[in-house]
Amino acid sequence: MTRATKPMSLTVNDRQVGPVAVPEGLMMQDFLHEYLNLTGARMGCGQGICHACTVVVEEEDGTLAEMRTCIVGAHWFEGRRVRTIEGIAERDTDGAVTDLSPVQQAFIEHFSFQCGYCTPGFVIGATVLLDRLQREPVSREDLEEVITEALDKHICRCTGYIRYLEAVRDVALKTPGLVTS
Amino acid sequence: MKKRFVVFYTAGVVLIFMFAAAVAVFFGAFQSSVVGSEVEEPLLPDERKALAERGAYVATAADCYACHTAPGGAPWAGGLPIETPFGIIYATNISPDKEHGIGEWTRAEFHRAMRDGVGKHGAPLYPAMPYVSYRKMTPEDVDAVYAYLMSREPMPVADKTNELTFPFNMRRLLRFWNLLNLPGDTFQARDDRSEQWNRGHYVVDALGHCGECHTPRNVMMGMKESAYLQGAVLEGMEAPDVTREGLLRMGFDAPSLAHFMQRGVSAQGGMTGDMFEVVHFSTQYMRQEDLDAMAAYLFDVDDIAAAEEPPPQPEPVEVSAEIAASARGTYLNLCSGCHGASGEGIPHVAVPMTTNITLRLEDPRNFLQTVLHGIPELDFPGVERMQPMPDFADKLDDQELADLATWMRARWGGQGSDVSPSDVENLRREAHD
Ligand code: FES
Ligand code: FES
Repeated sequence: MTRATKPMSLTVNDRQVGPVAVPEGLMMQDFLHEYLNLTGARMGCGQGICHACTVVVEEEDGTLAEMRTCIVGAHWFEGRRVRTIEGIAERDTDGAVTDLSPVQQAFIEHFSFQCGYCTPGFVIGATVLLDRLQREPVSREDLEEVITEALDKHICRCTGYIRYLEAVRDVALKTPGLVTS
Repeated sequence: MKKRFVVFYTAGVVLIFMFAAAVAVFFGAFQSSVVGSEVEEPLLPDERKALAERGAYVATAADCYACHTAPGGAPWAGGLPIETPFGIIYATNISPDKEHGIGEWTRAEFHRAMRDGVGKHGAPLYPAMPYVSYRKMTPEDVDAVYAYLMSREPMPVADKTNELTFPFNMRRLLRFWNLLNLPGDTFQARDDRSEQWNRGHYVVDALGHCGECHTPRNVMMGMKESAYLQGAVLEGMEAPDVTREGLLRMGFDAPSLAHFMQRGVSAQGGMTGDMFEVVHFSTQYMRQEDLDAMAAYLFDVDDIAAAEEPPPQPEPVEVSAEIAASARGTYLNLCSGCHGASGEGIPHVAVPMTTNITLRLEDPRNFLQTVLHGIPELDFPGVERMQPMPDFADKLDDQELADLATWMRARWGGQGSDVSPSDVENLRREAHD
């Protein structure tokens, strides 16, 4: 199969990108790393298993979805709005981080990670989960199970996962409207 | 006037006879048994002991465990729900527990269950238990399975009550079914064929009960013998044609088929769904000579070594530029990361598409179902495994998926018929019914 290039445009972290000529079949992760110098979406397995490479897709209806970038071609994101780990925290006009997102803050407070390789994926996964809980709140007794189910696919080689779970649970409980009593 | 009376009279008598016959069938008057009286004699403890080991193999080849042990349940204690168009039937406890299992079953009762489809107290079994196939088992093999099961740990687990709708909850009606669908004869070896072919026939029909899924069912839900092993749709998936023609079309020769049954993965793809379970619980443990025999029989050759060459790769078929453009983009974006830009796959991660069976089937159903619903991670025999395949139901619309199917089937499966968006829509709807 010959690899021609094709122009593509998309929005990454609220910034319009393209049109830029991108080889067909280039995976999104390579595009982020090589073309945009956004290296936060980590290459773990490259096979769609570990979820270290995920990004948020902001759907047209405003909902968020999680996509693996190692197994999804860059051109799939044509015309879409994407948020990478670099675009999760608040930044000032110079690009310096001013405020971490509640999920990021909680991961730090809970010492959720050690080497941190999996962390971008967990931040993305938890961010998408919290967005869903805003629309579909869950009961307190189901909360742990819902978190586990949502983040289960993320692999971490260092920790026992429990601190990730506790951090996400804390954010969910502290944010009004996510958990019904 | 008189003539009319005679007509009425005759009709009345015929009706009464028919009714009487029906009542007789209902109460079991015409049950045909293939179980001989010699099994009334119980097996001696020593005989049982001697038979049990062989029984373990026979039970494995007959794949008893897959149904009679629920996932996560106690071994041989039953409980697996089997979905039928008439409701749910639960597999029963066949551990030797005296209260809940078959601990009190005599040798003869066990034979009658296996080969006549009749329970301990004479009530017919539901044909979800493949007694139509097991009927062909030799009495020696049935004895061996009996001896093996009786040597297992008793599991005090009560059977679940079937959830069947009226009138299918009336077991006695099965006597009518048996009359029409339970063959009167037993397994007959053919003198004009080799020992390997005959053994293969026995493994396929009696033990492996392949026809229970691969032979289509008639209106009565009996196996349609005229379409023996020609493929059928079960729970939304096609159990493909495994006759010689069907196997050749999928790209097998006899040795590669034997290998596939043992390993569950080959150039033709990976076993999934129900067939993965068959490999997992049964065929991976089959002896090489039984795998060879099965392949020789299915390819209808007397000696597996004499089997024909595998068929050549089908020629790609042209598809319209519009379909190709849409499908190629989808393939590169969503499939190529694992299956390779040229469909070559990644070893131990994702199977190649170039030689995949699913693309060569006439019906696109299995391909569409797989893309819509994905495949869980599967641990194949040995150290082989394949990564889970994501589901794409909400990533592809009907048109995109139809185009992808048309293009991949044409390119690698040699299938020229276009898949339409309504095919996809129908399958999506099926999943919700
Ligand atoms: S790198 Fe993408 S899932 Fe592991
Ligand atoms: S913190 Fe090291 S992999 Fe998760």
